[in-house]
Amino acid sequence: MPTVPAPLQVLLDHPSKHLEGTDIQLVLPIGRSLLNEVLDARPADTPVQELLLDPEANNLVNLHLGVKAPVLGSVRRKITFRPKGSVSFPNQPWLHFDITDGFKMFDKPIIKLMQGQIAERLPKGIELTSDHLRLHLPALLTSAGYQALVPLIKNLRLTSEANVLILQLHLKA
Amino acid sequence: MHPVQKHLFDTNFRDLSGTKLEGTIALSDELINLGILDFLQQLQKPDTDTPKAKSEAPAASSAMPNPADLLKMVTIEEVKYRTEAGRTMVDIKAGIK
Repeated sequence: MPTVPAPLQVLLDHPSKHLEGTDIQLVLPIGRSLLNEVLDARPADTPVQELLLDPEANNLVNLHLGVKAPVLGSVRRKITFRPKGSVSFPNQPWLHFDITDGFKMFDKPIIKLMQGQIAERLPKGIELTSDHLRLHLPALLTSAGYQALVPLIKNLRLTSEANVLILQLHLKA
Repeated sequence: MHPVQKHLFDTNFRDLSGTKLEGTIALSDELINLGILDFLQQLQKPDTDTPKAKSEAPAASSAMPNPADLLKMVTIEEVKYRTEAGRTMVDIKAGIK
């Protein structure tokens, strides 16, 4: 595991103190190959066999997913998401994605039946139903050890163009 | 090197093309001083690792980005340095082509 340089660690531990007065807007387009490099670097214990993102035009993102699901066994799907709205703190902590396509005929009723089990198996902060995926950013940042960054994120929005996922972020300390 | 970092270096940050940054970055004096200390410590490190560093030089140099190529990709419209009590402020408007 790479060690974090001491100044960066201090910054991550107490960002409000060391960044006080910061007010910055960032637009970060992340190309498809970099995006998938980031996904490839996920922790080894992630319960996912295959994970690929394919951003499209018109704000649609294809997720190629391979998982071992209860009852169904090994499942591979291409699921299409549409990012919706933005995260703002403290009022709107969820990053919301509508699922527009990808589940097969029996997927939706099975997901509805097994909603409780799915919720138990997913990491805290990730909510999946047959219609949407929601990420609770404070919970995810907290579980990654970056809880102190949460109050700094004034606005965060994801959108998609062909081969590029665009992150718009407003940080204020 | 982290695979994501290696990918960024290998591709000269091409996958972040179109990035825009605008606003004020403020850093505390304590953080700046920690950074200076860390930088000085890094400068002293190669003395003890010289033989190892030399033997790894060919592989490392192929992974590192060319600073001149990187600078060509960056557009800076505004940088204003100033200080306030206990902190350094940089007003910046910049991006990656």
